[in-house]
Amino acid sequence: MTGATTDWTYADSGVAIDPAFGDVHGDAWRRLGECGTWWTGAERVAILAEARAAAGCELCREQKAAVSPNAVRGDHSRSPEGSVLSNDAVEAAHRISSDPGRLARGWVGSMCEALGEEPYVELAAIVATRYAIDGFALALGTALRPLPAAGHGEPSRVRPDDVGDVGAFVSQSLDKTLANVSRAASLVPDTADIWRGVVKQQYSRGPEFAQLVWDRPLQRPQVELIAATVSKMNECFY
Amino acid sequence: MAAGAGVDAGAELVHFTTAAVGDDDDLAAARDALRSAVGDAGLVEAAGTIAAFEGLNRIADATGIQLDDNLAADTADVRDALGIDDFAVTDGKVRSESAPSRAESVLDLFT
Repeated sequence: MTGATTDWTYADSGVAIDPAFGDVHGDAWRRLGECGTWWTGAERVAILAEARAAAGCELCREQKAAVSPNAVRGDHSRSPEGSVLSNDAVEAAHRISSDPGRLARGWVGSMCEALGEEPYVELAAIVATRYAIDGFALALGTALRPLPAAGHGEPSRVRPDDVGDVGAFVSQSLDKTLANVSRAASLVPDTADIWRGVVKQQYSRGPEFAQLVWDRPLQRPQVELIAATVSKMNECFY
Repeated sequence: MAAGAGVDAGAELVHFTTAAVGDDDDLAAARDALRSAVGDAGLVEAAGTIAAFEGLNRIADATGIQLDDNLAADTADVRDALGIDDFAVTDGKVRSESAPSRAESVLDLFT
């Protein structure tokens, strides 16, 4: 069931939560369901569903436990919505979800060849945003929100002009004034905008990010301790 | 790190973070302990940060972003001492060949 009237107040958490979180999450979730630059609305909803399905996927679990994920073959456990996606798209959504720390250039290259570089990056940005929103709910012990309604229309399939090889696995913005992490999904600016909005609300908060002393509920060292712990657990090199 | 790295409520923050990321059975208890230590607003901030980095880690690894030049230079000696660059996961993600130098500000690390 899609969430036409989804409650984004997080009242079910029993915790006093700044309404700004729900406002940002609700807007981002709705936009994730709309037609994207490279995927239709139904496909984007399916990508969200597959990212969720990865948590209970037996193949993902076996690949994560193996010395090399490539040593384990099989079929991913698909969601009902995932039928609109190719096997490669499902593979991408599941692998990025379940074992991000071992994603290698060769695998990303094969995904880009199968899906297209731009669709792959848009899929990755959708998965990342899903983690930021669903992860918030899970951490607070609330239920995951229903999938968004699938929007109509056809993708524009417009690639930005100012992107190219900057040494990453995919093409990114050539604007070197941006930090590399800010350029990660720059190949798909509209979806990247959704992603950045969620990160801003949950972490960076704009210009104050440059300060070492924050006027926030947690001090900066506390926030960065959390960040380092998550990144260590996910074995994120960056 | 498990002991909290000398940060206020560090042990509670790490416990909650590891329980949330690992979907551990004691997540509820860890949440309650952190809430007692830092209050509702602090708990919400922690949840937001955990979730943001669950996403940030994935977009970083899925797109293979490189270390920013100043960050690579600033950490060259540490990475060399630890042998981090020898791991396959680095996979060309470190490009800087400049001599180690220290960034002068937080944002300087990311340019």
